[in-house]
Amino acid sequence: MLEFVFLAPFLAGIVAFFLPRNLGRPLLVIIGAVHLLLSVLIWVRRPVSMFPEYFAVTPEGLLSLLVISLLFFLISIYTTGYLKASNIKSENIFTGSMLLFLSTMTLVTLSDHIMVMWIAIEATTLASAPLIYTHRTSASLEATWKYVLICSVGIAMALLGSVLITVSMDVGKVDVPISFSALTAVAKSLDPMWLKAGFVFILVGYGTKMGLAPMHTWLPDAHSEAPSPASALLSGVLLNCAYLGIFKTNNIMVAAGLGDFSGAILMVFGLISILAAATFILKQTEYKRMLAYSSIENMGIIAFGTGVGGLAAYGAILCLIHHSLIKSSLFLTSGNILLGYGSRLIKGTGNLVNRMPRTFVAFFAGFAGISGFPPFGIFIGELFIIVGTFRAGHYVSVGIFILSLCVIFAGFANQVLKISFDDTDATIQLPESAVMVWPQYTLLLTSLVLCFWVPNTLYQTIIHAVNAIGGGF
Amino acid sequence: MSNPVDVILSLVLLSCLFSFGSSRLPGLIKVLAFQGVVVSIVPLFIDPNMTGGGILFTIITLTIRGIVIPLCIYLAIKKVAIHREVEPIVGYHASMLAGLGLIVGAMFVSRNFDVPAGNASVLLLPTAITVLVSGMFLLMARRNAIAMVLGYIMMENGIYLVGTTFSAHARHIVEFGILLDVLAGVMIMAIILQNIRRTFDDVDTALLRTLKE
Repeated sequence: MLEFVFLAPFLAGIVAFFLPRNLGRPLLVIIGAVHLLLSVLIWVRRPVSMFPEYFAVTPEGLLSLLVISLLFFLISIYTTGYLKASNIKSENIFTGSMLLFLSTMTLVTLSDHIMVMWIAIEATTLASAPLIYTHRTSASLEATWKYVLICSVGIAMALLGSVLITVSMDVGKVDVPISFSALTAVAKSLDPMWLKAGFVFILVGYGTKMGLAPMHTWLPDAHSEAPSPASALLSGVLLNCAYLGIFKTNNIMVAAGLGDFSGAILMVFGLISILAAATFILKQTEYKRMLAYSSIENMGIIAFGTGVGGLAAYGAILCLIHHSLIKSSLFLTSGNILLGYGSRLIKGTGNLVNRMPRTFVAFFAGFAGISGFPPFGIFIGELFIIVGTFRAGHYVSVGIFILSLCVIFAGFANQVLKISFDDTDATIQLPESAVMVWPQYTLLLTSLVLCFWVPNTLYQTIIHAVNAIGGGF
Repeated sequence: MSNPVDVILSLVLLSCLFSFGSSRLPGLIKVLAFQGVVVSIVPLFIDPNMTGGGILFTIITLTIRGIVIPLCIYLAIKKVAIHREVEPIVGYHASMLAGLGLIVGAMFVSRNFDVPAGNASVLLLPTAITVLVSGMFLLMARRNAIAMVLGYIMMENGIYLVGTTFSAHARHIVEFGILLDVLAGVMIMAIILQNIRRTFDDVDTALLRTLKE
């Protein structure tokens, strides 16, 4: 049953390549619903895999799986409207790649074997490359080229890191399956030098995919050139998948007593990412690129929180979940704006509040959520990270952290206000249909509800996930 | 130095130097194919008691690394119909000199590492490091998109050398998965190359500079 959850979208994706053009849209929604159902079942039953050496249900994997499932279902509903309104030539390649992308991301969340994890993450790159090239323009071609090359080279580093971890097993004379759970259990007897080297390479490798600066250069291009549903998936869940690889390796490091080493590196990369985002977000001229830089910022926040550990690690997981919900809704909304105004530039838009009022609600609420306003979860997550960092005594880092957040908020707010209220003479070419606003509302509402009421099973799973790195209160 | 593994590994080192000196793409692809073949047969000489499955897997690796991947790139450039220079950022002589320096450096560095016991060859770690860094060098020092893909393949060869020879933990099914990923990646890159050629009428990556801050 565990395997079915990634096999179903895989087979459906293959089928979708050969289906007639308009059958792909309902197939997306159906598979999305089936996937969501299966994920909930896995959450409730926690089954054991038929291949326990390769796959396992872990708390952090479960969290990501449920987020992926929910997002994909809502995005697939939005996609039906988006495809109707936009003119995409090879629609079956788009839907097929979406389904394969879903399948590979599911594989990432369930894999426990270090190498299977690598295979799955590399497969996400390959499955998502055609999505970025959907519009067939020279700019999207350039974005795809950069994405595939930079991510493949980056992830090759992660493969080297994984190999080095197996070397650390050889040197330490440990003979267990190369799975994250088995290695965490015997972490103390692994050779520390090779383990450290392995961690650094894995962090650089998966960090490239996660969008940590300075390896982030592909991200703004890919996210801005992909069609909006694909951008929402890329930003909302693909980055989480790469984070999962880093998180699990960090668990091994903490169990081996090298948590200070890995934590310090994570904090440095996190801060660099936040600073890079703060620098570039101020002078953005395109709104999708602005959202992409905001993703880099949030990935930086999450890496930083994970590095600090303790309460901050709990905050990082909260940020991870809420960032997925809010950012994917923002990218979907940016799709409405793009179709409505026909321009990628902030200058080409304006007066969103009157021109597209329903889109405006989603856009502005999403902005409030992502920049950490109180009724949304990112606020709580960031608060926990700040308190956790103070507790751990990293006063300089927390100073840089807070300052950068303020700068990013100022830059972001400036652009959002321009889009929302500035005068414009543009005409709107898109009727705001229900399928193109309700998925965003649902995502934002989910984030809002999760802020006030966390189901006990969700709370326990988060605590269980961060326990390994000393998380929780 | 009578160890057969060392002889094979020195061929790999030579192929790195050749790749730095080749100015034309078909030549570079041939060097890469040769390196793929040589790298794939290394496990045959290292592991004394190899099973049938192991031998079969070596043959599959050899086919993919030595034949399918180079062929894939070769067909891509054939369609693109160019037999031209790799457009170096760093010149060929300087590259060769850097390659020699790299080999010396790799030898020097790898003496400091605590390598698992039972490894037959002294050249193994230096060669792996050299191939890996050479791949990165090609990626950075050549502007031609095809040469960059070849650099990526060379990096993968280096990682393969580290992987198969250092640890006996990975099962063949997993290694096969990795190989399949690399193959699919190269195929997608080949498709993108054709599209780049069609759109820009060239594969010089200097043309891919519109998206930036």
